[in-house]
Amino acid sequence: MAKDERALMAHLFRRAGFGATGDELESCVAQGYETTVERLLHPEQAPALDEDVLRRYHVDQNSLMLIESSQAYWLYRLINTRRPLEEKMALFWHGLFATAYGKLNHAKAVVNQTNTFRRFGLGDFRSLLLELSRDPAMIFWLDNKDNHKDAPNENYGRELLELFSMGIGNYTEADVKACARAFTGWTIANAAYMSLRASRDSIWPHGRLDWQFVYLPEDHDDGPKTFLGQTGPFNGEDVIDIICQQPATASFVASKLYNFFVSDTPDEAPIQLLAGEFQRTGGNIRSVMRALFLSDFFRSEAVRLARVKSPAELVAGTARLAGSHRFPEWSIVNLAMDVNFMGQEILNPPTVEGWHTGQEWIDTGNLVERVNAAALEIGDITQPGVRAIIRRMREQGADLSPEQLVDACLESLSLYEIEENTRSSLVAHVEQDGDLAFDRRGVAECAEQRVAALLQLIVATREYQLA
Amino acid sequence: MIAAVPFQYTKTLGFMANQGRGFNNPVDLAFDSAGVLYVLNRAGPEVSSRLSYKRVTVCTLAEDYLGEFGAGGTADGEFWWPSSLAFDRDDRLYVADEALNRISAFDQQGRFLGKWGAAGAEPGQLNRPSCIAFDQQDNLLVADSLNHRIQKFTKEGRFLHQWGGYGDGPGCFNMPWGVALDADGNCYVADWRNDRIQKFDAAGAYLADLGCTGWESSPGDGRLHRPAGLAVDDQGSIYVADWGNQQVQVFDREGRFIGALRGDATIPSKWAEDYFAANPDEAAARGKADLEPEISRDQERGGPEYEWERSANVEKLFWGPTSVKLDPAGRIYIVDSLRHRLQIYQRPE
Repeated sequence: MAKDERALMAHLFRRAGFGATGDELESCVAQGYETTVERLLHPEQAPALDEDVLRRYHVDQNSLMLIESSQAYWLYRLINTRRPLEEKMALFWHGLFATAYGKLNHAKAVVNQTNTFRRFGLGDFRSLLLELSRDPAMIFWLDNKDNHKDAPNENYGRELLELFSMGIGNYTEADVKACARAFTGWTIANAAYMSLRASRDSIWPHGRLDWQFVYLPEDHDDGPKTFLGQTGPFNGEDVIDIICQQPATASFVASKLYNFFVSDTPDEAPIQLLAGEFQRTGGNIRSVMRALFLSDFFRSEAVRLARVKSPAELVAGTARLAGSHRFPEWSIVNLAMDVNFMGQEILNPPTVEGWHTGQEWIDTGNLVERVNAAALEIGDITQPGVRAIIRRMREQGADLSPEQLVDACLESLSLYEIEENTRSSLVAHVEQDGDLAFDRRGVAECAEQRVAALLQLIVATREYQLA
Repeated sequence: MIAAVPFQYTKTLGFMANQGRGFNNPVDLAFDSAGVLYVLNRAGPEVSSRLSYKRVTVCTLAEDYLGEFGAGGTADGEFWWPSSLAFDRDDRLYVADEALNRISAFDQQGRFLGKWGAAGAEPGQLNRPSCIAFDQQDNLLVADSLNHRIQKFTKEGRFLHQWGGYGDGPGCFNMPWGVALDADGNCYVADWRNDRIQKFDAAGAYLADLGCTGWESSPGDGRLHRPAGLAVDDQGSIYVADWGNQQVQVFDREGRFIGALRGDATIPSKWAEDYFAANPDEAAARGKADLEPEISRDQERGGPEYEWERSANVEKLFWGPTSVKLDPAGRIYIVDSLRHRLQIYQRPE
């Protein structure tokens, strides 16, 4: 199997998912790149996660009342999903439509929002914005429950235009006011009681109560509005229709997708290509993602390892390679805490702008955390993924030279585009202990430990921290 | 209540509390010989600041809070994933732990008496013991869930017997959860992932099964979804915590469907009343709220996921019922795990 085909497939899975093991890559390369892309674009064809087993053992993840439990729940999904792009899209939209537990005091409400991203994240952008506008967590987060006919609150209307669809400079202050008026009456059921409970973080008497969207026509301003040059008695749906017709929206979504899936460094030509696909298909995200994954700019070696992995990507991807946490274990909460310590509290982004990505993921403190957490996972030779790596090496039969051992370990972590000085440093380190042999009495266990130690060293490299 | 069944809702006992008077994700319940209630709180997640939520709460049916014991941890007398508890004839309380793969014994005051159990798949070893129950000889039956079997031990932990094994044929199990005995010593097992109840004689010989995979908004055909705890009364009626369907189903001794309960907790517990008395503004806002909202999410998908969402929205409904226990007065106690309470019904004479 050609190495460059595997390298390309590894790149695809780092971006469209959370990495892939050697066995997974082999199977996908055999199916072909285009077929694999199409399979990723249709997550509904793969089995859903068995949530029952998770809910049985993690009683706290059944109700999702607490933030730590909910973060652990999502991390388990990232590690175990058979629909990697569905989860990756959910993570993307969560970063873009950033809604935080910290204000809501209702973890399940944020989880429910991520379920909306799973369902609508590859559909048409209009439906996604509509669902988002009806999402109780969003309504609470941006105060649309306080957006009344006789007292508009502009928070959601403003962010919908600025952060969720078009970007600043493409609308006026009058458009913001019209947009807010269009969304009056879009609120949650029992808003007064739910607001009071949230404000005092009340879990009494019997835990959280879910939130439901309600539309109150008597609280909706159905007067005429002028929005982005069009005039009418617009409601929220009408405003979303107009937003989705704007070239600025196509460019905005395209640039966000490019940044998340292709490169930390913007590039106008590919962004416009994606924007064109958005406009051509009426905002169909699946079509845009297809164009992205099949493009030359995505397949180019220039963009491989051109993004810093987010903490969630790093931790979930390493656990997938190690084969850890394939079944509910209490320790998943510790792994989720590691993601927090690295600077990404999933379900609790710092602001409505989401996380600052790229090199801002890395500082001297959290780099140590990233390396330590990844090394802990990949260095456990009892984990099935690590055992599979070792087994494949043993099956080669002969002793492995330091160079062969380094290359085998790099390949087992699906890391192909490594710089020569990194590789030579790894080889020099391995040379201190000579060739690796599994077949001589008394050395097998030591050999396994050497493999694990080298895997730990590799996850500490600059390249492994990149996607 | 979603079907006309001869059971009367009588009260709710409980209140969400991280410590002290109340429960935190209770998963099981046992009565000592005086009828005092011992409620096992599994709580979670397992982070240091929340380990103290795990405990056994001691109280009465009249909602007198008598105390608590235990905490999260791995030392003697502590719990990590406590799953089930049962009293022996001498009023000693045994608590199973699915993470530590051990059974711990306590006296009625919560003093630690001893422990036994080891992780593994060999006879006598445990892999996530999910439920325990004493038989007529005062030996302990253990649902050894990830070994897909039932094991019998003396109270001191000496292995006596086992049956089962992974599979979906008669006498096989897929992650069994609950175990209970009838007055004749027959054993009933909630075969969780096979969505059925299996009945065995005292020696573990297969006798019958009831239930099949499915869900039903108007039950009556024994469709179960991931059954958890269960109990059998002196008439042979079987009460199943149909965990995945968020209900309790009742069958007669022949396995015929009698009725189903979906939860009726409209009357606040005494402990909850105290809370609202201290927080009158919250009580007033609650009084104006619709506590039975219609929900749209997952409605189109129907089935267990919809019922799970309904329970997340409608407070009176069971949410994650894990265990059913009966007392000699004909009361049915449903451990309403995600709502941190017990819902209690009365069986007619």
